[in-house]
Amino acid sequence: MPHQCTNCGRGFDDGSKEMLSGCPDCGGNKFQFQPEGVDATETPDAEPPEPPGPDSSVARTVGKTAASVRDFVSGSSSTDAPDSRSSGAPAGERPQSEPERPSSTTEDAAQASARGDVVEPDELPSAAPEPSDDEHQFRPVGADPDPPEEPERDDRPDLQELREELNDQFESIKVLEPGQYELNLMELYDREEYIIALQEDGRYSIQVPDPIQSE
Amino acid sequence: MGLLTNLKDSISRAASTLFSEEDPKRIGIYGPPNAGKTTLANRIARDWTGDAVGPESHVPHETRRARRKENVEIERDGKKVTIDIVDTPGVTTKVDYTEFLEHDMEKDDAVRRSREATEGVAEAMHWLREDVDGVIYVLDSATDPFTQVNTMLIGIIESQDLPVLILANKIDLEESSVQRIRNAYPQHETIPLSALEGDNMDEVYDKIAEYFG
Repeated sequence: MPHQCTNCGRGFDDGSKEMLSGCPDCGGNKFQFQPEGVDATETPDAEPPEPPGPDSSVARTVGKTAASVRDFVSGSSSTDAPDSRSSGAPAGERPQSEPERPSSTTEDAAQASARGDVVEPDELPSAAPEPSDDEHQFRPVGADPDPPEEPERDDRPDLQELREELNDQFESIKVLEPGQYELNLMELYDREEYIIALQEDGRYSIQVPDPIQSE
Repeated sequence: MGLLTNLKDSISRAASTLFSEEDPKRIGIYGPPNAGKTTLANRIARDWTGDAVGPESHVPHETRRARRKENVEIERDGKKVTIDIVDTPGVTTKVDYTEFLEHDMEKDDAVRRSREATEGVAEAMHWLREDVDGVIYVLDSATDPFTQVNTMLIGIIESQDLPVLILANKIDLEESSVQRIRNAYPQHETIPLSALEGDNMDEVYDKIAEYFG
């Protein structure tokens, strides 16, 4: 497992797409790279506190990153870390730079997938549309006074439009808002059931029609 | 020979009257909102039964539930045609309560009217599918008849093989153009009238007897 979440220690294959949207387990979005051959430990709490230790080869490899992680976790404002909160570079270059490490000569399945596939919108955590990694990265510290307004993702309106288009095709009555309706006359004509009452949430009361019989 | 023909005619007339009385045709009065459907239904009902069908209004969607007047007997040339008149809510693809606010209506009332009107359209469309034997399609001759709703409804009526009479209402208005309706639906006969003024109702009753008798 060449990549490891610095927060919970979960490992990831090289090039894993999961990392792109943060660690699925803890939501952390800092990962350290562990070259092949290094005994990757997956114990959750082993790595984060120890990286600065001089005896750890893992820590030496990614010492700077780990130091900044420690600073980040402890809330101190170390300025010597290359990826301090004012810099957007680490978050931006992380996904691109790691798969290009020359150490790996063969491409595993995750790498191939990352190279060829596109992350589906539903693979991403729904609560975290990430227009900017930086904002998310530092929000947990609690120092951020204004929770960032999340801009709508570009692909969302498309889905909504598609949904509305489908509604147009299949719904006999669409409630735009209470008191405003769009009616699909053909659908109303075609349906077997008889709509007898509308509710504002878009539901209908229906009944199987009785012939209009006089007594 | 003449005696025989007369006898035959009177027998068939008696038979058809008998048949009509047992099984009155249910004639739906359809059309867009504010075409004068209820005004027409009331005029027919008053002329032949002395009763009205429902309240008329300038505010669109006054009729939000289909209303029936049963056993309306129309006499033409000694022949009796018995029909049930079904006055339906105006059919439309959009109902918006803000339209009613212009008519001095409170928002709550307007929203309720809008919801009821929508239910009424659903009901009218459902009845068209199963419960009418013929259609009187009423158009306001002072407005453009080329609309999606009119084309769709008349198309549905044609596909059902229902007899349909197209009435060009409101000929008392200056902007009225019966020819515009004739041009729009040349495959059907268009009868001009003013349901409000009672103009040309004789021809309307002739045609009702002819189409639905």
